[in-house]
Amino acid sequence: MKVKVDKTVLASVALHVLVLGAVLLSFSTRALEVRPEESVGVDISLESQVAAGMKTGKKEEKQPLVEKVAEAKPTDDAVGKIDEKKQPVVTDTAPEPQPKVVEKPEEKKPEPPKVAEKPKEEPKPVEKKPEPAVDPIAEAIKKEEKKKPKPPKPPVQAAKPPEQHKPKERVFDQSKIAALIDKRDPSRHAATGDTLNSNASLGLSKGRAGDNSATWGSMFRRQVENCWKKPYGGIEQERPEVAFNIRLKKDGTLEAMPVPDGTPSSPYARAYSESALRAIIQCQPYKLPAQFYDEWKAFIPVFQERPI
Amino acid sequence: MTDQDRLRDMLLRPSRRHVISGMAALGAVAAIPPRHALAQKRVPITEGDFAPLPIAIPNFVAGTPADGDVGVGVTQVIANNLKRSGLFAPIDQAAYIEKAINVDIAPNFQNWKTINAQALVTGRMTRQPDGRMKAEFRLWDVNTAQQLAGQQYFTSPESWRRIAHIISDQIYERLTGEKGYFDSRIVFVDETGSKERRVKRLALMDQDGANVRYLTRGNDLVLTPRFSPSSQEITYMEFGQGDPRVYLFNIETGQREIVGNFPGMSFAPRFSPDGQRVIMSLQQGSNANLFVMDLRSKTTTRLTDTPAIDTSPSYAPDGSRLCFESDRGGKPQIYVMAATGGPAQRISFGEGSYSTPVWSPRGDYIAFTKQGGGQFAIGIMKTDGSGERILTSGYHNEGPTFAPNGRVLMFFREPGGNSGPSLFTVDVSGRNEQRVPTPGFASDPAWSPLLS
Repeated sequence: MKVKVDKTVLASVALHVLVLGAVLLSFSTRALEVRPEESVGVDISLESQVAAGMKTGKKEEKQPLVEKVAEAKPTDDAVGKIDEKKQPVVTDTAPEPQPKVVEKPEEKKPEPPKVAEKPKEEPKPVEKKPEPAVDPIAEAIKKEEKKKPKPPKPPVQAAKPPEQHKPKERVFDQSKIAALIDKRDPSRHAATGDTLNSNASLGLSKGRAGDNSATWGSMFRRQVENCWKKPYGGIEQERPEVAFNIRLKKDGTLEAMPVPDGTPSSPYARAYSESALRAIIQCQPYKLPAQFYDEWKAFIPVFQERPI
Repeated sequence: MTDQDRLRDMLLRPSRRHVISGMAALGAVAAIPPRHALAQKRVPITEGDFAPLPIAIPNFVAGTPADGDVGVGVTQVIANNLKRSGLFAPIDQAAYIEKAINVDIAPNFQNWKTINAQALVTGRMTRQPDGRMKAEFRLWDVNTAQQLAGQQYFTSPESWRRIAHIISDQIYERLTGEKGYFDSRIVFVDETGSKERRVKRLALMDQDGANVRYLTRGNDLVLTPRFSPSSQEITYMEFGQGDPRVYLFNIETGQREIVGNFPGMSFAPRFSPDGQRVIMSLQQGSNANLFVMDLRSKTTTRLTDTPAIDTSPSYAPDGSRLCFESDRGGKPQIYVMAATGGPAQRISFGEGSYSTPVWSPRGDYIAFTKQGGGQFAIGIMKTDGSGERILTSGYHNEGPTFAPNGRVLMFFREPGGNSGPSLFTVDVSGRNEQRVPTPGFASDPAWSPLLS
């Protein structure tokens, strides 16, 4: 059986398809092209508050782009003592040596632990005024600490020693082409952070990292204040203030020994700083809201006297 | 154009071109060290406790079998000193997981964390072949596993208490940041017998009440002994046959010497900070004025000339000024003037009357006895008279004297009735009051400077 197709119907269908299709295509591009006013919110903020956002980033990405794990800028050190420059990761058992006490019995040159029993100086027979003597044992303990293996570096592939640019023979390398056509400022620095993140983020609204420190800060404060037994002797004379750089793990324990900012200026300031350090250590683990971990994983508690 | 310039430019003139160039700057901002780039929060911590520091002091181990007793003795003296200061809470030895600690090795800190000790003292006493005693000690921070102090001392075996006091001072100083005061002595008036026939002898003892020695036999009435800041001498007032006189007394030799030969009474003596002069009151009719006598040249200089009673002078530690008590304004009040005399400035203005001012060896406070409302109080004020603080108050408290570090005061308290006076200490905050053990009744204490 032969279906008879009406030519006019056919033509009509073809025309409709043509017209509708053209309308669809041509209008769709135009109609959907919303030219938004490029609003440039210039929020005056401290440069330290700017979360490194990128124009090309995605909204969903919360973390700023990090191409390279931050490391201390190498000083001009041809010998390459990189490891010594690095902050050693200290644990409770191998503390970083503190600034020396004024009287330094341990300051003598290292001696083998064997002679630890022998007092270094020949003590005079004094009855009235006993004299401080050398302390060789502390020396021995110190040596022990030095012998301990250095803690392994965090396994971050991007952190490579920033040195050794030996001139190499010219070899054609395809991957270099990408670098060649990268028209970004050749002297630009890689975006750094403490964990790698290859996705550029758009930055957070307000152009800064989220700030919930009022919440977790007061939680931390309440906990550490319970542990803080401060020496009260000189408070009337001095109004000490000591800040620590602390890093916490997710479970609220210290990742490393807190590092005080600067060295204390007086014996009282030292005692004050040490009392604060004892409190920080004693009070862990800290119970802080997990959703703000990114904020409290590293922060700076400042121990101070409330202004009168 | 530096990145900073560019950034500043951008902030000041936010044109689109600048914003775009600013985006490039952002890369640079992110590259500055992470501490800044990640904007670590500063969290202020202000409300610590003034609670005493929990400290563990296991018995000092014996270097030879014969040294066990002295090891225990030293430990007890240290624990007692620290506890009495109010700044430390020695932990009961019964709670210790480890009883004897080798002083040569780092302790197992976990054992001390468990009992909540924040500081740990380890030590050893060893008798040497030459008969002397060797004392070793270490002070550890339990939380940071650090050694805070470590020393060795050699001494004669009978001086073991002094070793304990010196070690106590080391611990106190290292953990509080203040100088210690345990290696010091007290001269005071020992009182025995009934109220009607009281015998008063000059006596000397360690700051903690041990090693009492009597310096006079008690035939004559003695009052207001004061230590020389530089030598083993004291000055005091004694009622002999005639008028009361000021004497010097050498503790080592027992020699006694009258200070000057003045008509009428001489009283309320005190050394200058360099120990070269004695300042005192001399009676002139019904008045008294301040005079200073050079102990070497024996020359006497008048400092005040008023128709009033000026007494109880006390020098500032730098010797430039002195405070004293005077009733020139009616009631006794505290005045401050230059050490060379001249116009005096009244600094006490509270209710009642003020007497026996003492300048702190630290220079920050003047302590006093305050009488008013039927009470005698011991208090301190700043040297300009501000910030008055009453530390203790009651039926009768009198005669404050400062510890060498200026943080603790000793005074005597009379409970009234048929009882007699006894000695007490209180710290400058007024929180920690302690009775000082004495063999009998005791009054008029004076604290020595540090012995070493």
